[in-house]
Amino acid sequence: MLFNTPQFFVFLLVTIGLFYVSPKRFRKWILLIASYVFYMSWNWRFTPLLLSLTVIDYVAAIWMERVESPSRRKLFLVASLAANLGFLGFFKYYNFLAGMLAEALRKDPHAFARSIVLPLGISFHTFQSISYVVDVYRGEQKAIRNPIDYALFIAFFPQLVAGPIVRAREFFADYYLWAPPISEETLRGVLWILLGLVKKMALADQFAQIADSYFQNLAAHPGAPAAWSGVVAFAMQIFFDFSGYTDMAIGMALLLGFHFPTNFRRPYLAFSITDFWHRWHISLSRWLRDYLYIPLGGNRHGSLMTYRNLMLTMLLGGLWHGASWNFVIWGGYHGALLGLERVFGRKHFQEPPNWVVYPFRVLITFLLVCIGWVFFRATTLHDSTYVIQQMFIWHGKAGLIPVWLTCMVAASLAIALLEEKMEWIERLAHGPAWGYVAAVVTLLFTVELIGVTEKAVPFVYFQF
Amino acid sequence: MRAASVLFASVIAFAAIEGAVFHTGLYPWILNPDASTGYVETILRNEIKRPKTGPQILGIGDSRMLLLPRLSNRHTAETGYTFGTIATAGASPRAWYYMLRDADPTSRRYRAIVIAVESYDDAERWNDENDNNEDLSYLIARLQLSDWWEFSRSYHDPDWQWKAARGIFLKGLVYKRDFQDLLLHPRSRLRYAKLNRRDAFSWNYNYDGPPDTLADFHVDWAAKTLIAPPNADPGLVQKLKFRLLDPLPAETGNESRYLTHWLGKIYEHYRSSPTRLIFLRLPRGGFVRPDQPRYNPHSSVRDLSMEPNVTLIDEHFFDSLEKPEFFRDEMHLNGPGMVPFSLMITQEVSRILGPPR
Repeated sequence: MLFNTPQFFVFLLVTIGLFYVSPKRFRKWILLIASYVFYMSWNWRFTPLLLSLTVIDYVAAIWMERVESPSRRKLFLVASLAANLGFLGFFKYYNFLAGMLAEALRKDPHAFARSIVLPLGISFHTFQSISYVVDVYRGEQKAIRNPIDYALFIAFFPQLVAGPIVRAREFFADYYLWAPPISEETLRGVLWILLGLVKKMALADQFAQIADSYFQNLAAHPGAPAAWSGVVAFAMQIFFDFSGYTDMAIGMALLLGFHFPTNFRRPYLAFSITDFWHRWHISLSRWLRDYLYIPLGGNRHGSLMTYRNLMLTMLLGGLWHGASWNFVIWGGYHGALLGLERVFGRKHFQEPPNWVVYPFRVLITFLLVCIGWVFFRATTLHDSTYVIQQMFIWHGKAGLIPVWLTCMVAASLAIALLEEKMEWIERLAHGPAWGYVAAVVTLLFTVELIGVTEKAVPFVYFQF
Repeated sequence: MRAASVLFASVIAFAAIEGAVFHTGLYPWILNPDASTGYVETILRNEIKRPKTGPQILGIGDSRMLLLPRLSNRHTAETGYTFGTIATAGASPRAWYYMLRDADPTSRRYRAIVIAVESYDDAERWNDENDNNEDLSYLIARLQLSDWWEFSRSYHDPDWQWKAARGIFLKGLVYKRDFQDLLLHPRSRLRYAKLNRRDAFSWNYNYDGPPDTLADFHVDWAAKTLIAPPNADPGLVQKLKFRLLDPLPAETGNESRYLTHWLGKIYEHYRSSPTRLIFLRLPRGGFVRPDQPRYNPHSSVRDLSMEPNVTLIDEHFFDSLEKPEFFRDEMHLNGPGMVPFSLMITQEVSRILGPPR
């Protein structure tokens, strides 16, 4: 069940309906059952995996809290981490490592390969579990005693498959002090869902066609105009796709009385790579900072160690996206850019420049991010280098993006700038009814007339 | 409470605007005349607004129903009848029903409807006509909310059932491509739509048909070989081979059920009206394969012909036209073939109906 299918909306409406008509004591059961139904609708065979990780982390956290000996606490932590990373490693990286081993032994690249299906959302729910267990270990979070509460935290369907990665304290603050959404929250929730649908169906899926046609047949589109338009199309696709999903997840959670953290804050308006990572996939950046970068030492041990930690964090962040050298290079590329920005003055890249310089800085940052996207999208290292070469060879025919899609991007940019300055979604929910109605009608017509509705295109981040 | 009322108002506003734009004649007014829906709308609009003096006869069928009303109407003084046609390339019997329903809502506008069919034996087809994906695009401007159940259920493929069901409610989903094309070239579209509204009738009415023929082609039935001239279009050669030499599809009864349903619907529309339904079997092609479909005494048209106001023109009436020099491709008459075809229809239909009362 994809978020952009009618089946999902029926499921959502039924779940919300049952949730609100049921007595309070049954509501968590309804959400948990709905979440497992949602998960099983993809592939029921992985249900034991989700269940066993839930049980392991639930038990490990309780035992960690019970025992006093630091070494035993650490033992439970290690056991839990081993289980989470073991499953993640097996499903996600086995074939990658097997390929490397085969290459090292000069054997057929597929000699040790296995046919492994990646369980849906495993990267997200394992990171969410790890953050919970580590928080309990650090004493920053009380172990959850009720297994249903904990199971719901892990499996909650709006964020199960592609985030945002929610901290236990954020989730349980809403959960234990649950209150029905007020009018403005309901309106905001619906608006987020529609905005997400527009981003996904009217923008991401349209750009996907251009990006796919370029990256699937590079030889047919030589030259810089085609290369840049293919890469920019992918930049647009991945942003609108992932932020569209997140917007829908945030909206659904709001309708159920939960408040998810912001995951995207108009990342293509970033004026530096440092700023970009404060705006792009914020819940992952935050996770990497708190559970990797800071434990590695952060910036506490001098410049060299800081650069090393930064690079390691970004390399692992890249690898988290997928088992391929391209993702590692993508992470390394961003790590290098972040390091360079530190070399040239951290303050300079963290504080917004004046309005004259700002557009140029935004453009340069966007172009740098686009170069990084080449490694993210191309299937091989050879293709990546080819595309980057093409981006700087000025020959070939015109670009691939039609005028009307350029206009759509221009409109999106205007809306993003308005949101940056005015927070219009908040204002619409609080403002006069006619403004809200006009916005909803516009969004619905955009989905109807511009959206790709012939087939439901899966979200890009579902593969991670 | 505020949220519920604002959300309700949003849904109502969306439905009202969608209804006003797409469920009325507003958007069809500016459709791209070359796209599926615009093409059918042009044909229907031309027919609906055509001045009708005296008894009228309307032809319907697919691209092979190449009746030229211009020629037929030269004989109006003798026959007493005026001919028109809403035959549409690619239109299926399901589309014919909905087109006739809108062209003749009272079932009394025409003295006769001349329906051109491929075979009187319900010859099987390779594709399931129930899942003809053009029908939804052809008919979307004509489909009403009350057609929702019957039309969407008439597809066999669940995917198409769903597309039809949602399309009838949210017509914008079906107009999507046309709308995006309008966004791309709004000025030229509006100009072309206007020009089409003004002149399309004369474009169609004065159509002569192409002069190309199959005269240089030969078929050796014994050797199962098509002999094509050296400069023949390879696409045409392939189509001819497929139509003439490939095995016929197996009989499943699907086509018969389909035709019985939709030709039956057309009959029901005219059941108690003075309009006569006249079926004709189209000339089969420039070359007629020896292995014709099996005679079916209870085919859809033969069963219908038992009804009082239904007539079948003799099955072999157009056999004299089945010559390579009268065809431009594997199944379409060329310009020189369209002339006798139209005149033969004019004379035969006038004979069947007798002088107008």
